[in-house]
Amino acid sequence: MIFSWQIVLMIVLSITFLSWFLYRPIKESLSDDDSNIRINKQRQNELISDRSIGLIEEQYFKEAEGEIIDTLASELKSNESEKLEIKPMRWSLSIALLIAILSLSLYSQLAPKIVPSSFSQSTDSLSMTESLDALKEYLIDNPEDFSAWKMLGMTQVAIGDLDDSINSFENAFKINPDDIDLLLQYSSAIAAKQAGEFLGRPQELIKKALTLDPQSIQVLYFAGIVAAHQSDFDVAKEFWEKALYLMPDSHPDRSIIEEAVETILNLQVK
Amino acid sequence: MLIEVGHFALVLALVISVILIVVPSIGLYQNKTSLSQLAKPLVWAQGFWIAVAFFVLMSAFLTNDFSVKYVADNSNTQLPVLFKASAVWGAHEGSLLLWVFVLSIWSTAVSIFSKRIPSNLLNLILIVLGVVSFGFLLFLLYTSNPFERLIIPPLEGRELNPLLQDFGLAVHPPMLYMGYVGLAVPFAFVIAALIRGQLDSSWLRWTRPWALISWAFLTVGITLGSWWAYYELGWGGWWFWDPVENASFMPWLIATALIHSLSVSEKRGILRQWTVLLSIGGFSLSLLGTFLVRSGVLTSVHAFATDPARGLFILIFLFIVIGGSLAIYAWRYNLLQKSNPISLFSRETGLLINNILLVTAMLSVLLGTLYPLVLDTLNLGKISVGVPYFNAVFIPIMLPAVIVMAIVPFVRWKKDTFKRIVSHLRIQWLGIIVLILIARIFITDNIFVLVAIGLFIWMLVHVLVLLIARIRSKSVFSFAFIGMLVAHLGIAVFVLGATVTTQMGIEKDIKMSFGESQNIAGYDFVFNGVSRYQKDNYSGFMGNITVLKGVKEITTLTPEKRYYQSGMPMTEASINPSIARDLYVALGEELVEGSWSVRIYYKPLVRWIWLGGLMIAMGALFAAIDRRYFVRAKS
Repeated sequence: MIFSWQIVLMIVLSITFLSWFLYRPIKESLSDDDSNIRINKQRQNELISDRSIGLIEEQYFKEAEGEIIDTLASELKSNESEKLEIKPMRWSLSIALLIAILSLSLYSQLAPKIVPSSFSQSTDSLSMTESLDALKEYLIDNPEDFSAWKMLGMTQVAIGDLDDSINSFENAFKINPDDIDLLLQYSSAIAAKQAGEFLGRPQELIKKALTLDPQSIQVLYFAGIVAAHQSDFDVAKEFWEKALYLMPDSHPDRSIIEEAVETILNLQVK
Repeated sequence: MLIEVGHFALVLALVISVILIVVPSIGLYQNKTSLSQLAKPLVWAQGFWIAVAFFVLMSAFLTNDFSVKYVADNSNTQLPVLFKASAVWGAHEGSLLLWVFVLSIWSTAVSIFSKRIPSNLLNLILIVLGVVSFGFLLFLLYTSNPFERLIIPPLEGRELNPLLQDFGLAVHPPMLYMGYVGLAVPFAFVIAALIRGQLDSSWLRWTRPWALISWAFLTVGITLGSWWAYYELGWGGWWFWDPVENASFMPWLIATALIHSLSVSEKRGILRQWTVLLSIGGFSLSLLGTFLVRSGVLTSVHAFATDPARGLFILIFLFIVIGGSLAIYAWRYNLLQKSNPISLFSRETGLLINNILLVTAMLSVLLGTLYPLVLDTLNLGKISVGVPYFNAVFIPIMLPAVIVMAIVPFVRWKKDTFKRIVSHLRIQWLGIIVLILIARIFITDNIFVLVAIGLFIWMLVHVLVLLIARIRSKSVFSFAFIGMLVAHLGIAVFVLGATVTTQMGIEKDIKMSFGESQNIAGYDFVFNGVSRYQKDNYSGFMGNITVLKGVKEITTLTPEKRYYQSGMPMTEASINPSIARDLYVALGEELVEGSWSVRIYYKPLVRWIWLGGLMIAMGALFAAIDRRYFVRAKS
């Protein structure tokens, strides 16, 4: 799990805010009796006003007034029980612990999951932040583990840490520059850093991937994206149509590529 | 990292809602003020973190952060800024976040503007709102997380549903949610009062302004939805009895009954059982509406969730809320039994009759909405319950309700006689009959329109008579009184608009070629052809139709047919509006060279429908700011 300074700050802010009000509680506004007396007085005044505009007859006015008094009498309580004091420090600490433990454990449970790679001894799935910590620790002792660097890069992308992910992918690339999956992940990370632009280094990486495996559906899809970015729609269409030809009908990504082809066709029509 | 901040903010809000449920409850139980008084700061803290999450998601849309799955699925770089912002609630996850955000706004508002409510009652109200909030935050985080990341972010996002790329839809959901979720407040008041076993004057008095405000928002939300459907869907209709429309209309009917029932309970201390049930019913129906829209059981322009797990969650939550509330009601039933007598002919009875009619109307809509779904679920066949059913069942129930509405303000509290009312109003009634006869001779012989005209004149007269009576008695004009008049007049305006436009409107679906002209309701529509155009995120065809009355040119209408990136065609009607009538043109398909199918509508008084809606909402807001709700806190 990542204990980023933002998350720690959010927890500290919440605890400080609530503790402040434990030491300086907000004063009580009104008691039930005060409120009921006032409201029933108002009701009495409204009744008088209704009588003045003819909304109630005189004989029933008295009856209604009696009902208001009866209501008030039944609502008043004999006495209010004594208020007890608390020890603010004890409650502040309890609330602080509750917030910290509950929020962090919930977040670790809810944060996106990734399946741990071979370097992990645990068979349970870890949260993304837990995986990140574990990966970093592992890489200190095993800096030559290609899979670990790649996994670290993917995890960092998932939490939006693009700069670090690019560094991690670069380390993986130095160890194994021919891994197609790495080339695609690495190019995507750089492109995301360049506001979605695939030109330059990402383009080179995808070109390399295409040389290594011209039949890979994923590579063809990315090659199509690069071509589309260069407004080379015919080439993009060619790559995507080839990908569609190679993938089975039931492939989950089929609809994405079909949509991309359709977009290209629409653009060409226009 | 900002996205993770948004996600964690929601987690913190959930944790704070747990503390809100536990700690102030301990304070109330053990009489420890410092703990019970922590309810307010907890509500503020929860509201703050939910707001952070909401605005983080909005910023992800505005900055095209397609690494967020929800953003990538519902926005793209070409989308105009307004629709990027409104895309936050354009699909399931975001609209659930809006739901929670709106609930936090209501909770914070209750905590700030309730200085005149006894502290113990207020703290318990906030705890009940915390329970509702907890349920929805849990739902949001476990089944509908809007902050889910994509491992490989796409370069370009998909598209917001083109139907939702419209100003009306940008503001309709927040307004509707303010009303929907606002019904949680009267519900919380009732549950808090029941738990405390103190169904006293305080909860009755302070529930009403909150019920009025949420009812006003619900009215505005429904009105905006109707207006949007009218101009955006290209069918010229303003209400379709769509199940999702019904889902918002049912709580509205119950909330209408509730605000009237509250006024009786507040003034006379009676109908408390009824008021409690209406408060529970109103919120339960808004949860039912949420279930219908979110579970995927309905197919509609509104229903964007098709995940059974989500539906199951809301269904369980719905059962817990309804079951729990009714259990508490049963537990405290003996406290609700005390009541003052009601005579057969009195203002109280009139309001009760109106309540019964409203609840019956709601049940007829509920039956028409749920019956096909139940049959389908039990594999007993598919049936469609449409406009004929609702018109046949709903209108006959609501007609007497409107008539009762126009008479009750003249009836006295406690006891009155029909003879006195008749002698008091007979001249006005005679005048109305004369006016209806005049309308029969000079305007129309349509019986529905004549009834609507009669009702409208009667409401107008009723407002004037009541105003004159107040001026004569030199009594103070309260906002509650003005609000009642404005809202009742709004109902009459709505009824007249809806009846006239439905009964006297003209619709023509025709083929038009260049230079061709069609006469409809005395207007000549001249077809000048169609041109192609291209905008940022769509392309389309734009028709050009000149409208003439005699030789005078009234306007030029430019209906559009748009094609968005997804290829989905959209009809954009072109309307020449006025208070008396709308001229409405929608472009259909290209038929043969140069000729197009065109739908032309003449819609008399159609604007009165939404004007009436706005007047109703305004009336409710007036009533909510009545002086009696702002008296000094010190007694």
